[in-house]
This record gives sequence, C-alpha cells and structure tokens, in this order.
Amino acid sequence: MSEERETRLFMIAPDSMLTPDQLVRMIHAFGEEALVKETCYGCLVEGPRELVLKIRDRVREKYRNEVFTKIRAYRCSDPRRCRAQHGTRPGFAQLEEEWELLTRIHRGLDRVDAGAKYEPTPAKKRLPVNDFKKICEVQE
Amino acid sequence: MKVFIDPPNSLVLFDLVERFGHEPLSTMAAIQERVDNLEVDMPPMNVTLDDVVKGLKYAGVEVPSGVRGRLALWGPMIESADAAIVMDDCPYSFGCVGCERSNLMVKYLIKRRGIPVLYVTYPEDEDQATNFVAQTKEFLEGLK
Repeated sequence: MSEERETRLFMIAPDSMLTPDQLVRMIHAFGEEALVKETCYGCLVEGPRELVLKIRDRVREKYRNEVFTKIRAYRCSDPRRCRAQHGTRPGFAQLEEEWELLTRIHRGLDRVDAGAKYEPTPAKKRLPVNDFKKICEVQE
Repeated sequence: MKVFIDPPNSLVLFDLVERFGHEPLSTMAAIQERVDNLEVDMPPMNVTLDDVVKGLKYAGVEVPSGVRGRLALWGPMIESADAAIVMDDCPYSFGCVGCERSNLMVKYLIKRRGIPVLYVTYPEDEDQATNFVAQTKEFLEGLK
C-alpha cells in the first residue's frame, strides 16, 4: 500500500442519524491538513497515509459502528472517475449495493459489541421425495 | 496479518478486516499502485504488457484476456496473503461482476494456497448479519 497518498472513502450506514455534512464538518474540525470532499454517501478524505489513518481512528472513536470505510484507488475529483468532471463513476453500482447492506451490518456490529456470539445455523436438507409427494397431494 | 477479501472490492469486508486489526488485500490497493506509478490510461480497463505476462502464471493463454487481466491484479495478492475471507451467495451485482470464471479461479487459487479461509454467506437479514459479523470477528481474532 502506498505511504505517500491515501484516498479513503467514508460511507454512513443508511439508518444512522449522521449526515454527510455533519461528518465533513467534524473532520474539518480535527484541523488536519487533509483534503475532504463531501459526497452523497459520506465523504472522501485524501492525504498522506499516516494522517488519513489518524482521521479514520478519530471518526471511529465517535461513530464506531455507523461509519464504514475503505480505500479508493483514484484521487478525489480524478476526471477519469468523478461525475462532476464528466467521469464514468463505474464503481458506484458496488457502493450502492453495499450501502443497502450497511444497515444490517451496523445492527450486527452493535449486537456483537453487546455480547452476541456466532451461532451456526443448521444447513437446509433436501426434501425426501415421499414428503414432497404428500405436499403435492394435499394441494390437489 | 494480510487477509485477502473476496469480493476484492467489498467495503464491508475491507472495513471488518481493518476493524479487527489486520491488513486487507483489496483490488483498490492494486489499482492505486497502477494509478500512481504507471502511465496507464485507465486501470484496470487498461493493463501493461507485464500484467498480461503475470496473468499467464495463473491462467492459460487460451483463457479470455479479461480473466488474465483480473488475475494479474489478484494473483500476486493471493500469493502474499496469510488468510482469506470469501463471501458466498452474493447478489448478482455485488462484487466484481462480469466474469464468473475469474471469481471461480480466485476461489481455486485460494484453496490451492492452503491458507486459513473463512467462507461466509451474504447476510439477508439482521440475524444472519449478526452471525456474519460474529463469525468474522472470531476468525480474525484467532489469526495470530
């Protein structure tokens, strides 16, 4: 991973009361010299890796299970990706899919923090032919 | 420890791996290397000749070029991984869509490496999500 530059994407879970605007203001208030860009799902933060990781940790301290983050390959406002610069934004379909999943993960994380453990669910078995036959006969 | 995630561009898996104290190996890092260091027009759509040669290590010459291109990115990451998390039964548009053969090849390469692997299913409801998070946490905390 590059040490010089890291662009990190922060995405807010849909059931959170936090807004992208509040998140960006909070990051600005840290007073760090990183580039912060507000987006519809949260924000992008760009800067030296060490600094961006520091910001990530401070965001996690406050919104532990509500804000999710991953790195982004392209820089903020890269014309090859940014819609504002008529880019194609090909990764957005994946972000949209994950955004829908984040509510469940948010609640899952809360429950695990509260002490929930992994409980293996029994695997689905195949239906015996005779049972299936009975079901079909009842329906007739 | 370095943990390879599959789908390799997943936000949820990347976040969980980092959250529980490991380094996720993702497509984004591999593409960032090409964005920063190489004069390629639009990675990963465009690749270098070296990438094509790297891809040949993992897939034969008769395999479509898209598979080789993808494996040129993911193959070296799988080789350097100490563990992996694979999410199964994802919806069609979740993860790297477009080439199921590449995804199968990735699963095969992970299996061939013999590293600890956690297979999780895509959570459809809150109970499954709790199980998914707890299972991932247990696995990642057990990697020492």
